[in-house]
Parts: sequence; structure tokens; C-alpha cells
Amino acid sequence: MSEELKKAKDVIQSFLKSKKILRMYPSNNPIYINTIDDDFNKFKEFFYYKDELCLKIKQNEIFFDSEQVYASPEKEDNLALFFFKDGVREITFRKGITMEEMEDFLKIISLDFNRDALEDDIVTLFWEKDFQNIQYVVDETVLADEDDYEERAVRAIAEREPDQDSLMKAYEDASKEDVVSDVSIVPLSDKDLQLLLQEFERDSEDKTDKLTDILFEMIYLQPSKEDIEDIVGFFVNSVEYSVSRGNILLVTRILSRFRKMLEDRNEEEERKRLAKKILLLAGNESIINLLGEILDSGQEMEEKLFEDFVRFLDKNAIVPFMKILGELKSIHARKIVIDALILLGTKDIPTLAKGLNDSRWYVVRNIIYILRKIGDKRAVDYLLKTVKHGDVRVKKEVIRALGELGGGGVLQTLRDCLDDPEVQVRSAALRALGNIRSEAPKRIIMNKIADKNFRDKDFEEKKEYFEVLAQWKDDEVYASVVGILKKKTFLGRAKNDENRACAAYCLGLLGKKDALPILNKYRNDGNKLMQELIFSAMKRLEYGQ
Amino acid sequence: MDNRTDNKEDIERFKTGKDLVNQLSVVLRTSHIHDPDNVAVTSVIDKFVSLVNVLVGYERVISLELRGEYFYINDYRIRYSLEYLLNFDFLIREFKKRELGSLVFKDKITAEEVKVLVRALLSSPYAESPFDAIAERMSDTRNMSVEKLKKVVEERSLEPRKMVKKTYFNAVSYARGVINKIKGGEKVNIKKAKRVIESMVDQILEEEQLLLGMTAIKDYDEYTYHHSVNVSILSIALGQRVGLNRKTLTELGMVALFHDIGKMDIPNEILNKPSNFNDSEWNIIRKHPVWGVKALLKLKKLDPLTIKSAIVAFEHHMNFDRSGYPRVKKNFELDFFSKIVSLADQYDAMTSARVYSRVPMAPDKALSIMMERSNTQLDPLLLKFFVNMVGVFPIGTLVMLNTKELGLVCESNQVFPAKPRVLIIIDERGNRIKGHVVDLTEKDGKDLYIRSILKTMDPNKYRINLAEYLL
Repeated sequence: MSEELKKAKDVIQSFLKSKKILRMYPSNNPIYINTIDDDFNKFKEFFYYKDELCLKIKQNEIFFDSEQVYASPEKEDNLALFFFKDGVREITFRKGITMEEMEDFLKIISLDFNRDALEDDIVTLFWEKDFQNIQYVVDETVLADEDDYEERAVRAIAEREPDQDSLMKAYEDASKEDVVSDVSIVPLSDKDLQLLLQEFERDSEDKTDKLTDILFEMIYLQPSKEDIEDIVGFFVNSVEYSVSRGNILLVTRILSRFRKMLEDRNEEEERKRLAKKILLLAGNESIINLLGEILDSGQEMEEKLFEDFVRFLDKNAIVPFMKILGELKSIHARKIVIDALILLGTKDIPTLAKGLNDSRWYVVRNIIYILRKIGDKRAVDYLLKTVKHGDVRVKKEVIRALGELGGGGVLQTLRDCLDDPEVQVRSAALRALGNIRSEAPKRIIMNKIADKNFRDKDFEEKKEYFEVLAQWKDDEVYASVVGILKKKTFLGRAKNDENRACAAYCLGLLGKKDALPILNKYRNDGNKLMQELIFSAMKRLEYGQ
Repeated sequence: MDNRTDNKEDIERFKTGKDLVNQLSVVLRTSHIHDPDNVAVTSVIDKFVSLVNVLVGYERVISLELRGEYFYINDYRIRYSLEYLLNFDFLIREFKKRELGSLVFKDKITAEEVKVLVRALLSSPYAESPFDAIAERMSDTRNMSVEKLKKVVEERSLEPRKMVKKTYFNAVSYARGVINKIKGGEKVNIKKAKRVIESMVDQILEEEQLLLGMTAIKDYDEYTYHHSVNVSILSIALGQRVGLNRKTLTELGMVALFHDIGKMDIPNEILNKPSNFNDSEWNIIRKHPVWGVKALLKLKKLDPLTIKSAIVAFEHHMNFDRSGYPRVKKNFELDFFSKIVSLADQYDAMTSARVYSRVPMAPDKALSIMMERSNTQLDPLLLKFFVNMVGVFPIGTLVMLNTKELGLVCESNQVFPAKPRVLIIIDERGNRIKGHVVDLTEKDGKDLYIRSILKTMDPNKYRINLAEYLL
């Protein structure tokens, strides 16, 4: 075997290796860089013997100098077939090949044309690179739709024999008639080129906006029913395409035009139907999924713009939005979707409430949060069913929501929650009751404090009860709390002093200065904790601190 | 990794190469007006000398060579760029006219040596053998020498006409296949379309005149498909004149290829009607831009190219002054590509048979009508480029020369538009001959043009089969 043949085989082998490596590693990885260097060295070694490496491509073989340097019967992962199927029949690498050219070449042959939905074939990719030192010969017969088209067309036209007499007549006429005046051409100037270049640059922006203008025009160009259906599809595709490119501004503009169409009294019914349909389809699952991908990609999204977009959507967008809510990875993206659902949810509380059945606790918690923010009392019935959720984080959120929404059945549920084994749930229920602020929850809290088991609760929990109770700044509460402060026992004195300390704390919060002499009276009473809380309550009353 | 750095330096270095080619063109253009000792010439010569000497400083020996339609400096192809387009074209013609292939700078040069070169180039066209005359006058210059233009021996260049024909008919066959496939509800292979257009872009860059010649033949049976391909070729050629890069030219070629796709929905009895259309038929014809948008948007998923294609399909009959059709409510700017395709479309339609008017026009007549439409129907600036591209006497024009010879224009001249290359079909004695090509820029010993066009005639009127001469 000649040396150059050996080196040519080495180059082929290095291609095969690189095809794999380049797919696996990013270009800054040392393995990738070493592979490129190795390949380049293989070329250098070959070019030591010859100035050109010309490879002839057959279906399953590659030849160099009539010698086979590669063969594979496989249909997959066959380098020869890889080139052959797109019409490449010969590739020549010249001695001047640069590392960049070689790397570009390797990147192209490393693409997975079966897996990746590529718009271009290998010849187009080579062509776009415009290699200076890699030449390729392509069989272009694959491009014609019929094998013998050229032959037939040329034959057909050649059969039309020219009329000899006509040609001579042309000559006679030309000799007889007068000389024609000269046609002038205005020479091109550099300014012309500059003007055109400027126009081209202005024109090179994204054209989706223009396409949608055209689609709007098409609505008014007497379309048939079938045309209308097509136009709907094109608009939906345009919206999808714009969303996938993060162009929410354009989508909002499109939807805004349809909203105006819908609201225009003079507009034809057929067009209104079209507008309604597109506004509905703009919130379909595929579009919302694309939106999710954009949100999760970290692309900046102006909140106001997004809000404007969501306002144009219909209630059918709720379900897809809830779906992506559970799938989004970034907190920021989830927040945007939550805000969207707060806007959209008002259009269909029952559908939104279906999200409470989601198997993922965090989705349920988000839906509860959304329902709370919407503030619609129709949500209470759904929320009450969620109170028994197995996750304490969900329970806390639902109790808070119930507290804010109020309504029938809520008090009973919250009272029950005050006896929940989980302290976080009890605390949430207590605060929720405090939020309702009516007499009934006050009574519940006071009764709880008066209960004989109350004093056995942890000090912090007891303190929280008094803190919540202090929200009702009325005489009944004041009298009750003063009573607790004054109450002394012989048995269980420490626990009782905890109650008294909490009562002192509560008096401070109630802000009634009448309590000062009473607190002063007990300032040296009880344990250290009680003394501290009495002292701080007095300070709060005296100085408003 | 060092090689990458070297390559970057190369690229920087050869930016000077582009300036060098441009400056040589400036030197020659100025010398056509002033004597080489005039300050206008000496100042541009000085700049040229400094550019050459910078490169010589890097490379030691510099060879500026013309290969095909490109200049190479030490085997590195110098790319066209928009600002230098006209000067590059001019210099290519000047080299070719004198059979000058290379200028070799063996060391740093002086202004005096360049003046010798300029004088040699200026006087050479009148010599029997222009190149030999230059070589003789240059024989005493120490650091500069010239080499004769080589015949390009690459396989592709051996039979460029054959290659061009193949590319053209592949494109027509593809266009035909696309329409049939869409009609038959089959999937269309867009990758193939790109390949077809890429070939055309290459041909335009390398064999522009041959491919433009293919568009001049209008007697094919299947007008629709040939028209699509012709418009694509003319658009690419115009795009190239404007300075668009290869990738953009491909996009332009693609959108042009599909501009009339909406016509496939026009009933054949209307499309092939031998007489003029009535109002209701016109109404149907006028729908094809909208139908084109529909067809294209159904063809494949939305992407930038599909969007551009749909826009051009919609706008190619909308005029510069917003007349034309479809009539729109919103007054939007016409797309750059639409304006190019519109020009190409009008020109090809007017010069073809079996279009709406049914009366094909001679190419020069079509061009003069288009010039009348400047600033109304057509963009004046782009039209100016278009006219410069096809020439005052476009390929296929039947011309009577002052020598009593009758011929067909087979190649236009970008620098001297009134002086194209002409294929003689009847000699001065009135005999029909198997044509030979003459260049109308040729001058005699008294610096007078040997041949000039006396008048143009309509080849259609005399049923001249252009295919016989141009294929």
C-alpha cells in the first residue's frame, strides 16, 4: 500500500471518529478540540505526499486513486451513502485547507439528518459555506423531476424550423427602413448603490408583521367560506410562529385588531365569526406550550405586554396555562403564568378550580393562590374541599384563602382547623379567622382561649391567639383580656402565667391606655417572661412603640 | 490552533486585495480621461502603489489574476462587494479585452512602473494582439510583469453552455413537478428547490450572460414553468447587480420561483384562452396573488423564507404607485424582493407569448415600455439597475448593424451598454450564415468602432427561432 493511500485512509477514519465526537461534545470541550487538531494533522500528513485529496463517492464505497478507502453495506451510519444520497459524487480537499474550513466540513457531516428536522441537505450546507479549499462534484440529475425533460424540451423547440423567407424578409426590411434613434441608459452611480443598500437594510427585518397585514387584507378580498377557514389557520400559524420567536407584541397587535373587528357594529357577521374563532384559537394548547418554552428559556418578557396579550385570550386558555404551570422550571416563568391565570380565571372559576385536583401539591397551592387573588366567593365551595389535602403547605394556603374570601361553611371549617394536629395549620386557621373580623370568629377565638385545655398549648401558639384577638379592639375583648391578666391560680401556676403574659401582650396591642395602671400593678408579678411582656406592653401604650 | 490565527490575518490582509483591485480600476478609468502624467491620474496611481507595496511587504510576490469572472490574489479569490461592484466589472472587461490574465508584482513597485503599465494598457486595444503589445511595453519594468489570460480548464468550465442548459432545464422540470405535486396533493421537496436555485445562483455569478440567454428563448410549450424559472433567473441577476450575498440571492431566487404559484388554481381554459380576457376572467386572474399566498402557506410550516415567498406572491402585481392588484386597505411599503420580482415578471411576461396580452414584444421594446413606467408602476431606482443589467439591447434582440450584417444580441456589455456582443446570422452580402460572435466594442486602427447597431427589429415578427442560436 502506498503511503498516500494509507494517509487517505487515515483521513477517512478521522472523519468517522469526528462525526461521533462532534455530536457528543461542545466546541470548547478539550476532546472536541483535540479531535479537530488530530484531523487537521491527518490532512497535513496526506498533503506531504500530494496537493489534493480527491475522493470519489459511490453508493457504499469511497475511492481514492481508484483504490477503495471506505466501504460499508449499512444503511445507517454509512459515510459513503451519507454523501451519495444527496448527489455528492466527488469531494476534493486542497492543500490550502484551513482548520476553520475543515471544522465547518466536519460539523456538517456530523449533523444527524435523520433526527434533526433540517431544512437543508448536505449540498446546500456545503454551498452556504462557500469553501475555498474543498470542492465537490454533485450529480444534479436528482433535481429534475423527469429524467429526459431537457431533451424533450430542446427537441420540441428545435422541431420548429425557422422560416427562411421570414429571416430574409427581416433582412430586407432592416435594410430599407430608417435608422432608429439611440436608446440611452442612465449610468449607475455610487449614490444609487448606497440608496438601494439602505433600502435593503431597512427591508431586512422580520416579515411576520407584514404577512399578517396581508392576511388581514385577504379577509376583505371577498374570500370564499373555504378561504375563511384557511385564513383562520394561517393566522393561528402566524400567532404560533410569533410566540415561538418571543414576539408577543405582534401577537397582541393581531388579537387587538380582531377584538376591534368583533366590537365593530358595522362589521359583517362572517368576519366577526372569524375574529371570534381566532381569538379563541389564540389560547390553544400548542400556543400556550410554546409560550411556556419561551418563558422558561429566560427570554425577557415585558410584564405589561404579556398582560395585554393575556387580556385578549378566552377562557379556553385556562387549562393549557394550568398545564404548563406544573411544568415550568423557573420561578419567574411560573409567576408570569400565575398572573395570567389570575386575569383569565375570572372568566371561568369552575375550570380553574379543576386545578385543585392536580396531583402535584405545588400546582394546587398555586391554584389556591390564584383563586384567593381573584377574590371571587364562588371559589369557596371548591376550596373547602381542598382543606383536607394531604400536604400541609396546601392546607395553609387554602385556609388563608378561605380566611380572605369568607362565606358560608368557612367558619366551621376554620374552627375545625384550630384543632388540627399540625401547628402550622392551626396557626393559619387562627390568622384566617382574624382576617374575617366579624363577631363569629371573635367568639370562636375567645371560646378557645376560655377552654380549659387552652393553657396547655405552647406559649407561642397561645401568644398568636392573643395577637389575633387584639384585632377586635372592643370592650368585650378588653374586659376578657384584663380578666385573664388578673386571674391567679395555685395549681399550674407557670402555665397560667403564660396566659397572663399573653394577655399583657394583647393589652399592649389593643392600645387602650386604661390598661396602664392594671399592667403597672402586675409589673413585678409572675415569672420573668410575664414581666418582660408587661414591660413591653406598657412601653407600647406609653410611647406607641 | 495557530492556523486559525493565521487565517484571520490572511483575511485582514486580503481586504487590502479588494481595495487593490478597485484602485487599479480607478487608475484605468481615470487614465481614460486624463494623461497618465496628469495629477488626477498620478494621485490615484500613488494610492495604488502604496496598496501593492503593503501586500508585497507581506507576501513578497503578488499575483493579481483574472480567472473566469473573478480576480484572485495569490490564489485567494477576491470577493465582490457592493461598493466596488462597478469597478470590478469594469476591470474584468478591460482585462478580457486585452487577453490580460495576470499582473505580477515581484517586489515593491514605483509610480513610474505603473505609468508604463497604464500606457501599455491604453494603447493595446488597437494592436493586433493586445496582450503581446502590453507584454512588449512591459518588458523593461523590473518589478512588474504580465501573463496572458488562461483558458479555464476546470471540467465545469469546459462546457459552460451545457452546464447552464442543464441547470435551466432542471429548474423548469422541478417547477413543473412542484405544481403537479401540489395539484395531486403530494408533498413538495423544498430542499430540492434550494439546490436548484443554488445552481442558478452559481451560474449567475459565473456565467451570467449564458443563463440570461436561456431566459430569452420564449418558444417553449410550457410557458408557466419557464416563466417561473425565467423570473427567478432575472431576479437573481438583478439581486447580484444590487450586491446581495449568495444566501440572500438564493432566498430571492426561491421566492421568485414561486411567485406565480397561485396561477395553478386558474382554470386551464382561462389560462390557455387564445383571445383576450373578459371582465369575469380578469377577476379570476386577479385572484392569483391571494391564491399564491394560500398555496405557499399550505406548502410548509411557517419560516422566514415561506413568509417572504407569500409576501412576494401577494405583492408582485402591486405597483410602485400602489396601482395594480390586489387592492389593499392598508397602505404598506412594498417588499424589496417584491419590487425586484415585479420587474423581472413584467419583463419576462412582456417578452413572452401566451401571456395575458398574447402579443410578445421585442426585448428592447419591452424595456422602453418599462422605462415609461418608471416611478409609476415600477421602482425607478431598481429599474435603473435592471436596465443596466439587461442592457439597452437585451439578449435575444434582433439587430441590424451598420456593416449590413443582421444578428442577435447574445451577451450584453455592462460597461458599454450600447456595445453588446452579437451573433451574426446574415452576413453583409445578405447570406444566411452559421453565426459567429462579434464584439461591438472592437475598434479599428483609427480608434473607430468597427460595428454599431443601426436599428433593432422584432424577432417574433419574423418568427426567428432564438433557441436555434442561443441553446
